[in-house]
Amino acid sequence: MSSSVIELSQIVKEYPGVRPLDRVDFAVRPGEIHALLGENGAGKSTLIRVMGGAVAPNSGSITYLGKSVSWRSPKEARTAGIHVIYQELALFPELSVAENILVDAQPTRFGLISGRARHALAAAALKQLGVTIPTHAKVDELPLADQQMVEIAKALVGQTKLLILDEPTAVITGREVDLLFENMRRLRSEGVGIVYVSHRLEEIAEIADRVTILKDGQVVATSPVAALTREAMITKMVGRRLEQVYPARLQAPAQTADVLTVRNLEAGPRVRDVSFSVKAGEIVGLAGMVGSGRTEVAEAIFGTREVKQGSIALEGKPFSKIDPGAAIRFGLGFLTENRKDEGLFLGLPISANIVAPDLGSVTRRGLIDRATERETAMRQMKEFAVAAPSSEVKVGNLSGGNQQKVLFSRWSRIANRLLILDEPTRGVDIGAKVEIYRIIRRLADSGIGVLLISSELQEVVGMSDRVYVMSQGQIVGEIQGEAISEEAIMDLAVRSMDRSRLSVAGGAELVS
Amino acid sequence: MTASTNAPVPRTRNLTTAAIFERYGLVIFLCILLVVAALISPPFLQPANLVNVLTIAAPLGMVVVGQTFVILVRGLDLSVASLMATVAVLATAFKATGNDAIPMIFVAAIVFSAIVGLISGWLVTKRNVSPFLATLAMMIILQGVRFAYTGGAPISTLPPGMSFLASGRILGIPVNLITLAILATALGIVLHRSRFGRQIFMVGSNPKAALLNGVPRDRVVILCYVICSICAGIGGLFLLGYVGTVSNWVGQGYELDSIVAAVMGGVALSGGRGNVFAALLGVAVLVVINNLVLLLGFPIEMQLIIKGIIIIGAAAFYRTRLF
Repeated sequence: MSSSVIELSQIVKEYPGVRPLDRVDFAVRPGEIHALLGENGAGKSTLIRVMGGAVAPNSGSITYLGKSVSWRSPKEARTAGIHVIYQELALFPELSVAENILVDAQPTRFGLISGRARHALAAAALKQLGVTIPTHAKVDELPLADQQMVEIAKALVGQTKLLILDEPTAVITGREVDLLFENMRRLRSEGVGIVYVSHRLEEIAEIADRVTILKDGQVVATSPVAALTREAMITKMVGRRLEQVYPARLQAPAQTADVLTVRNLEAGPRVRDVSFSVKAGEIVGLAGMVGSGRTEVAEAIFGTREVKQGSIALEGKPFSKIDPGAAIRFGLGFLTENRKDEGLFLGLPISANIVAPDLGSVTRRGLIDRATERETAMRQMKEFAVAAPSSEVKVGNLSGGNQQKVLFSRWSRIANRLLILDEPTRGVDIGAKVEIYRIIRRLADSGIGVLLISSELQEVVGMSDRVYVMSQGQIVGEIQGEAISEEAIMDLAVRSMDRSRLSVAGGAELVS
Repeated sequence: MTASTNAPVPRTRNLTTAAIFERYGLVIFLCILLVVAALISPPFLQPANLVNVLTIAAPLGMVVVGQTFVILVRGLDLSVASLMATVAVLATAFKATGNDAIPMIFVAAIVFSAIVGLISGWLVTKRNVSPFLATLAMMIILQGVRFAYTGGAPISTLPPGMSFLASGRILGIPVNLITLAILATALGIVLHRSRFGRQIFMVGSNPKAALLNGVPRDRVVILCYVICSICAGIGGLFLLGYVGTVSNWVGQGYELDSIVAAVMGGVALSGGRGNVFAALLGVAVLVVINNLVLLLGFPIEMQLIIKGIIIIGAAAFYRTRLF
C-alpha cells in the first residue's frame, strides 16, 4: 500500500449527465512507468486532472507518498512534487525559454529574480534533456517540437516525485522521442513514478512497465505490459458490444454516383494527402484520433480552410474556389463540431437559426417574411422533434440535444446533396443520440450523401456504410460493410501512428 | 449563469412582474424620471423646455442609431464625435452665404462620412484592428485634418438656412425631430426586418457561425461602420445648425454619450442583441437626466456623476439577462 507514489481509490467524478470517472482505482509505484490507455472520452484526461489537482473528485480518496491528500489547486499538487504535462502546452508564448522552464521556481537574489541564475538553471535542465535550445528565445519563436521539449524540461526542475505525461509524443518525432524515453528511463531509475498516456501502442510496449486501461470511466484492466498483447489491449479499450441503438445500414455497397470526390487534398499542416469519396445515399464514416485532421478536411470542403493542393469535386464537377455561400447553394451542409462556438446563434430564436444558411427563401423584396420564416421553422421543428413551445424561443434556452436537433433542422433543409456531420452527438444524452442516428439514416435514405466525422468509434461502426481511417493528415485505410469494427479501425489508426515514426506512413490499405 | 440555461423555458402568455420589468424596464424608468422631473421642477414640463430637450436630443439620437449598428456587430465607434466636428468644418469649406449650397453641403458630408466609415470598417475586418483602436485612430486623424484646416479658430461662414435644421418646424414639429424619426424608422426597418439586418444580428451573435452560414461577414461589418459614420455626419450638420458656429469641438462627448445611450437602451456591447428604438429611449433618459440636473440648479459636474451611476445601474440590470 504505502509503496505507491500515488494511490487513487474509488475515485468518482460526476458532471450533470455524465460520469467521466466511475470508481477508479489507480496506483503508481516509485520507479515505474505506468501507461494509461483508453479511447477518446474514456476518462484519461479527467483522471490526470484529478491527480494534478485541476479537478476535485466527487468521492474517493487520494494517497500521496503515504499521506491522504485532497488537492485544493494544481499549485498545491505541483509544490508537493506532481508534475503534469498536459496535451495542450502550458507555456507562456511571449516569455523566454528560461522564464518558462523556471516558471514555478524563479531563482531569486535579494528578493529579485536573478536573470543570470535563471538562464544557467534552464540551460542545465535542457542539457540534462539532451537538447540545445537557446534559453533567451521566446517560446512562440520555437517549432512545436521544441516547445514540447521546453514543457518537458519544466518537469526536470525541482523535486518531481510523480510525472504525468498526456500524449507527449503527439507533436515530436524520431530523435526527440528517443531523448524523451531516455529521460523517462533515467527518472524511473531515480525512483520517480511516471504516468504515460499515449495512443501509440508500440511505444507503450517499448517504455511502460504496467498498463491500466480505462473504458467509459471505469478501469477494465491493470496488468504488466508484458502480460497483454497488442490485440488484447485494443479489445479491452474498445470494450462492450454495440447495443441496438443504430438503424440498419445499407444492404449492399452503394452503386450511386459520387457526390463528393476528394483527390490528394492538402490543406494546412494537418491535412497532408487525403483522397476519398462519398456516394449519394451512403453514410461514410471518417474515423481517427482527435487531431488527425478530420475536421480540417471538412473545413476545406466547405471552403473555410485554404486548399493548398489537390481537388475537391462535387457531383463530378471540380470546385476551384469554394466558400460557404457557394457550398450551401450547391446543397452542401456542414454541421460543425462545436455547436456553441461555430454552429448556433444562441441569442437568436430557433426560427432565425433554422433559416440562417438560406435567408433568400424567406426574403421578399429584401425584407424577411416573418410568417414564412415561422412556418418553415415550425415545419422543421416538427420533423426533427425539437421540443420547444414556439419557434421564437431563443436557442440558448434549449437543452444540448434539442440544440443539436435545431442544427439538423437547419442543415437538412438546405443539404440536398451532401451533409457533413462533425461529432453530431457530442454532449447529447443517449435518448437524443438514438433519435439523431435515425435522422441521419433517414437523410441518407432520401438520397443525400453523409460524411460522418466522429471520435466515438461505436458511433462510426454503428452508423457507417463505409469507413475511412485518418491518421496524421492522411487516409490510412478504408473498411467496408461487415468488416467495419472498432478493432479494425483502431488497428489502422494505431498501426499507422507507430509506423509513421519510422516515416513509412503512407498508402491506404484495403481491409475489405 | 443560472441553472436554467439548458432547460427549455416555457413561454407563458401572462407575463410575470419580472418579465414586464425586464422588457419595459427602460420605459418604466423614463416615465418615473419624467414624473419626478415634473414634481420637483415644474418648469420641466413647459412646452418650451420640452422642445429644448428634444432639440438637444435629436443629433445625439441620429448618432445613436448609427452607433447601434456598429455595436451590434461587436464593435464600437469612437470617431463619431470627431467626425461630427469635421463635417461641420467641411460645411464651412464651401464659404457659402446662400442657402442654395445646403444640398451640396449634405452630399459632401454624406460622401465624406461614408469614406471614413469605409476606412474604419476595412481596418476592423480586413486588417483585424480592434474596433477601439481603429476608430480611436480615426478620431485623432480627423481631429488633425480639422485643425490643419481651421488653424484652431472657430468659423461661422455658414448659409443662414443651416439654423433651420435646429429651429425650423414643419407643421409645428421641429425639423430635426422629423429627420430623426425618418432616419430611425428607415434604419429600424433595415435592421429589424431586412435580410441585411438579419445578417447583422447573425454576425453579432456568432461571427464564426455567420460565416459558416454563408453570410459575407466582412461586407456586413464594413457596411455597419459606413452607416454609423453617415448617421454621425448627418447628426453633425444638425448639431452645427444648433450651435451656429463651427468650433473644433462640435459634438464633443457624443462618442461616449452615444455608446452610453445605446447600452442603456439594451444594446449589448457583446453584440447581437439590441433594438434601434430602445436605444433611442436610452437617449431620452440621458437627456432628461442632463436637463433635470440643470433645472435643479445642480452644478454641471453632477451630470457626470449621475450619468456614471446610471451606466453602472444599466450594466448591472442587463447583466442579469442571459441572452
